[in-house]
Amino acid sequence: MDFRFTDEQMARRKEFLEVCVELEKLKPAEFIGFESTYNYDSCWEYDRHCAKEFAKRGWLTLEWPPEYGGSGTMMDRVLFSEARGYHGIPGIDVFGVGMLAPTLLAAASEEIKKEFLPPIAAAEITWCELWSEPNAGSDLASLTATAVKKGDEYILNGQKTWTTGAHKADWGFGVFKSDPEARSHHNLSFLLFDMKTPGITVRPLPYMNGETIYNEVYFDDVHVPAKNIVGQENEGWAVVNTLAGFERSNIDQIMGMVRGLETLVAYCNETKRNGQPLAKDPLIRNRLAQTACDIEAARTLAYRVADLQNRHEMSLMDASSLKIFASDLGERLALLATDILGPYGQVKLSRWAPMNGYWEALYDECFVFTISMGTNEIQKNIIAWYGLGLPRMK
Amino acid sequence: MDLTFSEAQEILRKMARDFLSTECPKTLVRELQDSEKGYSPDLWKKMAELGWMGLIIPEEYEGMGYTFQDLTVLLEETGRNILPGPLVCTILSTFPILDAGSEEQKKEFLPKIAIGELIFSTALLEAEGTFDASGIAAKATPKGDDFVINGTKLFVEMAHVADYLICAARTKDGASPEEGITLFIVDTKTPGVHCEVIPTIALDKQCEVRLENVSVPKKNMLGELDKGWPIVQKLLEKGAIAKCAESIGGMQAAVEMTIAYSKERVQYGRPIGAFQALQHMMADMWSSMETSRYLVYEAAWMESEGLPCSKEVSMAKAYVNEAYNYVSKWGIRLHGGIGTSRDHDIPLYYHLAKAADTAFGGTDFHRELVAQKIGLI
Repeated sequence: MDFRFTDEQMARRKEFLEVCVELEKLKPAEFIGFESTYNYDSCWEYDRHCAKEFAKRGWLTLEWPPEYGGSGTMMDRVLFSEARGYHGIPGIDVFGVGMLAPTLLAAASEEIKKEFLPPIAAAEITWCELWSEPNAGSDLASLTATAVKKGDEYILNGQKTWTTGAHKADWGFGVFKSDPEARSHHNLSFLLFDMKTPGITVRPLPYMNGETIYNEVYFDDVHVPAKNIVGQENEGWAVVNTLAGFERSNIDQIMGMVRGLETLVAYCNETKRNGQPLAKDPLIRNRLAQTACDIEAARTLAYRVADLQNRHEMSLMDASSLKIFASDLGERLALLATDILGPYGQVKLSRWAPMNGYWEALYDECFVFTISMGTNEIQKNIIAWYGLGLPRMK
Repeated sequence: MDLTFSEAQEILRKMARDFLSTECPKTLVRELQDSEKGYSPDLWKKMAELGWMGLIIPEEYEGMGYTFQDLTVLLEETGRNILPGPLVCTILSTFPILDAGSEEQKKEFLPKIAIGELIFSTALLEAEGTFDASGIAAKATPKGDDFVINGTKLFVEMAHVADYLICAARTKDGASPEEGITLFIVDTKTPGVHCEVIPTIALDKQCEVRLENVSVPKKNMLGELDKGWPIVQKLLEKGAIAKCAESIGGMQAAVEMTIAYSKERVQYGRPIGAFQALQHMMADMWSSMETSRYLVYEAAWMESEGLPCSKEVSMAKAYVNEAYNYVSKWGIRLHGGIGTSRDHDIPLYYHLAKAADTAFGGTDFHRELVAQKIGLI
């Protein structure tokens, strides 16, 4: 067992950190976490600037196979995420770079890869993911939006919801019912389309804090080229479930918490209440220490997942467990921080808000991580059914 | 980065698991827990033949020369199987001898420990029950060629069968509680040493040791006079990780037993493991164990490499204390009524979780150390 990195990995890590340190200096004040990217124009521009800086260094494709532009390993990708997470730097298109690229690499034809991978690598095209529908969330397979084949096109009709960044994205990838007669899980197709295609309407779905992150997307006879399919017709469910190549260490979120804890410690050392620094309050000490232990537990499990992925192995159980743990921890950390802040814990970004309103924002935004990418309850089902071998109730 | 165990470690693990399941089944565990001695001399002899007491003793002192991380592999298995007796307290006692002992002391004690001829334990806690230096009040006064020790030590594992105790006593009142502590190797046959077993939840023979005018030869002073606290701190760190490793093994056993039971126990016409509420609890138990695991492995690796790791050790101990309680508690609850029966094995782990929690620092003790290490003033 060895927790050390190689000299080469340490050199890359140093490089990632140096660039992120510089990018952090350019961060707009209103950039408080990933969601800000979609809510403020300044943050979107900042995100794109960071993306271009990363693209020109080849950092959006680190773990890709060399023949598609990859220059490193999954561990390099994780070290990059570590640096970005700690400094709170965006610029990785969660959907294009994070989800679509590994899906294309695993499941798409050479033509599709040749057409769509290079603009992702160059940060030229941004993406959104159109999966959930009003009646199909966790039970995605029951979706009803249709893709009817006509000649060399699919005609899309229906509605998607919770589409992150649809109001900003250039292209979308979605899954649609392409054969209503076929049996479940063999009736869906995975399609790629320009979000400017006539018939696509995007309506904001305001998040509970008023921010524009999510959208409803309506399809009214939208014509998309049939060639823009990933995998086989009617076998899109298997493509949706492709997790191979998805970075699952959550290290960026975890390093964000490391950084958050540091700022909280500094705040507690500097801020007085009842005549003494908050840091002297035994309850605050105990709760912060408990959180520090939890964060380190998450970090070490993240490296376990990263190590497995670096060897092209995957422990579904470890990855699911980590997703649950890290996201629940984010919720707890937000609660703890806003508790420590007392009445200031409720204050939005403004001159009264300590730490730039970061914790008030996280208090609302923590649900993004517990609910999306497979709710934590679904993740527990995955652990139970596929990891522990417990029977599914029929 | 390579977070897998080596082939040699996996062989050690398998060998230990097979040996323990054959030589120390749960029937023997219960017998030993209920017995006065608390261990089996026959089993002790067999473990000595395997070299377990000397696992981390260097080869020059007749040991196996394994690393601290190798030891934690063995301890996961002793924790999983449950092994009543003085194996772990003896092994842990070798650390201060290796850290601070003179060459004569190493030559006198280590080879005998390695071949299973001597049982050792460490006597640190006293009436206050704190692992802080302020908890040490037992006094050691110089008298001729000896020191005379007076005081009462508590929760000393297996002291009633130990040949020697590594005892922390105060030789000087310093400006701070950490100053003026000295370690001694105390022969338990010395007049004035009285051991009595305290009844504890895990039936693990933690003892009260009363030391009444106990003469210890100066040559049995371990390390320098008045400067014993740093050695104690290092022992606490190693002891904490050792307990964590056992706890991981115990959690593994509790999780496995619970899953197996949930697949067999039928209610409402189906195995209870088919109900989502229970499935989620078992997923949570598994996750609690798994998030503990790599935290402990990190601390054990750092300790093995000689890297400063007091923060990581305290993080692991604080976290695992709660995790083992959580996993073992839910193990009982998911067994329903039968889980509370004395005849069932699952409560054994719940009891051991409490013992592990209190050994080498409870949750709040370690959280305060973490608070300091993360920079809170």
